[in-house]
Amino acid sequence: MTVGQTEANAAGEITPRRLRPAAPGLRRKASAGMHVPAILLTPAGLVIAALTLVPIGYLFFTSFTDYDKRTLFTGVFNFVGFQQYAGILSSADFWAALVRTVLFTGAMVAGSVVIGMGVSQLMLRLGVVVRYLVTIVLIVAWAMPNVATSKVWVWLFQPGYGVIPWLITQLRVFGDVTQTDFTNDFWGALIIIWALVVWQAVPFIALTLYAAQTQIDQSMIEAARIDGASEWRVYISITLPFLRPTLGLMTILSIIWDFNVINQIILVAGVQVLKPIATLGVWSYLVAFQSSDVGMGAAIAVITMILLLGITSIYIRSLLKSGEEF
Amino acid sequence: MRKRIMTIGAVGIAAALALTACSSGGSGSSDSSKASGPAFSTDGKGKTITVWSMNGDLPDNVLKAINDEFTKETGAKVKVQTQQWDGIVTKVTTALSSNNVPDLIDVGNTQITGYAATGGLLDISSLKDELAQGQTWLGGLVDPATVDGKLYGVPELAGARTVIYNKQLWAAAGITTEPKSYEEFTADLDKIKAAHASDPNFAAFYLPGQYWYDGLQWVWDAGGKIVSGKEGSWKGELSSAASIQGLNDFKTFQNAYSTKASQTLNTDKPDQDQNFADGHAATIEGNGWETGVILGDNKKLTADDLGTFAFPGKSGSTQPVDLGGSDWAIPAKSKNQGLALTWAKIAASPDIQKLVAAAGIIPISNEAVDAASASLTPLQVGSFTAAKNSTATPSAVNWSTVESDKTMETLFSSIASGSKSVEDAAKAADTAIESDLNK
Amino acid sequence: MAGPSSSRSSGRGIRRRRRVNWGSNIVAIVFAIVWVFPVYWMLNTAFKPRDEVMTETPHFWPSHLDAANFVAAIAQSSFLQDLRNSLIAVLSTLVIALLLGMFASAALTRFRFRGRKVILVVILAVQMLPATALLIPQFLVFNHLNLTGTYIGLILAYVASVLPFSIWVMRGFFLAIPVELEEAAAIDGAGSWRILFSVLFPLVTPGIIASSIFAFIAAWNDYLTAYVFMSDSSMYTLPLWLASFTTPTGGTDYGAQMAASVVFSLPVVVFFLIIQRNLVSGISAGAVKG
Repeated sequence: MTVGQTEANAAGEITPRRLRPAAPGLRRKASAGMHVPAILLTPAGLVIAALTLVPIGYLFFTSFTDYDKRTLFTGVFNFVGFQQYAGILSSADFWAALVRTVLFTGAMVAGSVVIGMGVSQLMLRLGVVVRYLVTIVLIVAWAMPNVATSKVWVWLFQPGYGVIPWLITQLRVFGDVTQTDFTNDFWGALIIIWALVVWQAVPFIALTLYAAQTQIDQSMIEAARIDGASEWRVYISITLPFLRPTLGLMTILSIIWDFNVINQIILVAGVQVLKPIATLGVWSYLVAFQSSDVGMGAAIAVITMILLLGITSIYIRSLLKSGEEF
Repeated sequence: MRKRIMTIGAVGIAAALALTACSSGGSGSSDSSKASGPAFSTDGKGKTITVWSMNGDLPDNVLKAINDEFTKETGAKVKVQTQQWDGIVTKVTTALSSNNVPDLIDVGNTQITGYAATGGLLDISSLKDELAQGQTWLGGLVDPATVDGKLYGVPELAGARTVIYNKQLWAAAGITTEPKSYEEFTADLDKIKAAHASDPNFAAFYLPGQYWYDGLQWVWDAGGKIVSGKEGSWKGELSSAASIQGLNDFKTFQNAYSTKASQTLNTDKPDQDQNFADGHAATIEGNGWETGVILGDNKKLTADDLGTFAFPGKSGSTQPVDLGGSDWAIPAKSKNQGLALTWAKIAASPDIQKLVAAAGIIPISNEAVDAASASLTPLQVGSFTAAKNSTATPSAVNWSTVESDKTMETLFSSIASGSKSVEDAAKAADTAIESDLNK
Repeated sequence: MAGPSSSRSSGRGIRRRRRVNWGSNIVAIVFAIVWVFPVYWMLNTAFKPRDEVMTETPHFWPSHLDAANFVAAIAQSSFLQDLRNSLIAVLSTLVIALLLGMFASAALTRFRFRGRKVILVVILAVQMLPATALLIPQFLVFNHLNLTGTYIGLILAYVASVLPFSIWVMRGFFLAIPVELEEAAAIDGAGSWRILFSVLFPLVTPGIIASSIFAFIAAWNDYLTAYVFMSDSSMYTLPLWLASFTTPTGGTDYGAQMAASVVFSLPVVVFFLIIQRNLVSGISAGAVKG
């Protein structure tokens, strides 16, 4: 549920709520008793506490035990203190996975944001029909469920019968790659998964930036053009500053989403994922559910969570600063 | 401030949960059942047991025969659920730990040790004789299911890999008799290779580099092995002189007769049976039942177009094969253990094993194998012969970790492709195996 | 989800009067072809006759449209059963999450009380937890409570994952309702509850629809939670069904799998296309990623 649970975070940041008067409904404070919001909040609060906060507490607890396959079957475990953490932090696997996760996330974010910016810029210069075509293509790519696209990707790159290796071979640049198993190769697998994630991420970014760009005051751009500014100059000095808040938001959301990519990696590389390409999220899944080393998997998840909360806090802080009605 | 509140809350809750976890661990419902010991039950009116069968293991007609007999004896119904191999370790582990557990699971003989040693399965040692029903089970099936002298599984079926060849392609290269020795075999393959010299995607013997079960046959044939020692002190033996010899032989053979692209591939991507069925390979090594898959992949092939024989080894005998196979195991948390035992007993009975053999699958006991040997078809003879000289992967508790780390795939594919020297690859594999098995 | 379309369309009008840039159009068409290619290939494979799927030289068009892959995917599998399971899990999740989310969102927007900001921050932070950080302990805790392998367990896990962002999405719609409406109702003598049920909740219907879309997609697409939780294959959901078109050798029936992908994706894609006007105009409001 990586992607699912992180949806719809940007609400409150940008339009259309700017249109409505600030500080609404607050006057209720005087007339209504405090029991009304309490009653309204309690069911959701209990659900979030019981189903999310308690499990997170239990995750911490588990990370200090040697919870493993035997514990799953019989319930027996021991406290081991910080042993899991010490083991992880001193293992080369962890640092490799961390570096890989950071670089891979960076590559996915850069790819989706840059291509998304390019496409949104492109869309401003299109005829109605072509723009409509591009929009539909983007929406279809966006809507495709990631379990389905992962399976489509595996099929596209299938050695022997896949269409992409065949097409690459037709280029006659890289030689005959029709028998190459890309998902089984370190770089091959990373590039394929990168392409998959970027393919699905670009539509959201492109369409959002496009929507933002259409709100730029055109007279400024026209004036700049009349003054002889190049298109590139216009983009740098007018468009980009205007887009900066949206762009910043897109980037930070992409970081959070892409850091959390797990379905696509597992489904494209097979559930027996190659350990060499596992990111932190995948690694903790593998350790906890494949090797049944739940205590260590929990500790990896805790470390991952702390890293991610660091990034998230930047986002939340910027929301707190910008959202006057927060 | 907020952080502190959250942390305190979380710790409190975790402590509460820890108490429940400890208490449930202490009271241990499994102890009470152990006191009375497991026993067969035939009282199944109105009950349904759930059986997990692995995709590609027992065919439907055999399962149906077992179920019919079981329903006749007990009155209980059977729900069979077919499971996929991919990710099965996760599936079985999570299932064994839940209360929603199946009553019988079909476990590969390389994986059962791990579950048995950690308390996931029912100890059925006291019923071994009744379950065996006078048969002597194959060692490759019963040994991995035995931990510290206790039995945790009933053999289900066995499988051995055999050479499968396309008679038309062999005949086209002028070969009409099956080779009896390694030299004859390679000479035949040389002829086939020469006949297709112009096609770089054609393999006289298609052997994907990651196909470690097959690669191990050279190691075993040369007298090498994967590990020596025992639980807690396993020692990797892949870099021993004998193993290195086997690995070198594997490399020579693979590079000579398979395609360049195949050096880094496994059997499933692309599907080697499909590849063979399409005529891109004259020969492959596969499980006996893969002949059926091949005939399904290319409807133009008939059973007469295929032949099987046990891989002749350099040593003079057939190459030792990995005795693949599966056992029936009963989860410790199953609520219908008595009925599950009755089902397993029926599945292991000589009558059912006749059906197993008739389906071209190697049955579970010496007696059943001998009984079947009289009436083998040409497509069965290869794997049945190969099974006579068989061995197995180490029955170490953590062997499944080695498998999920793909250590063996990496070893053989890096040797086949030459990305590492044989010695370096073997050393790296030994280190990885030792760290996985002894942790 | 209506956006500020008036100001935007005037902007577009100005731009459209400029010459259409042929270079850009060509680049855009190339981009569209590249981007749509995976979807095209999925459809192409799905509608091929079975024996044209596995060929070394790809067929870029089926020799004739053939439903055999769809028959294999739907009729010869547990599709209907798994569809039912998915619907049970997803629809129950929607009802619970939206109801609770609507109440909580109303409390967080139309009232001001101490701790409100903290709650909002927690709700926001919870959405960004790594998947396994929740999956591991949820599995362990639910297992203690005998909830794994049950629809209730699955539904609760889904509610936990969609409730926070449902609150967040609906929050925006609550905030958009003018205070004057409330005040008018209050002057007429309506109490807090009355105002909620007869003024606010009806007005927030678009928000309920919007969050139900996001919640639907999130639960519909879930693979890992169902994979880890559900051991009984008669209780599998569609993503598990989709992931399992495997033959005994470990090869995959790609024709059937692509047909299954089409069937599985269709509802979501059609839905996106229907609401695409709103998606594009109101996109910045609802930051969805599917």
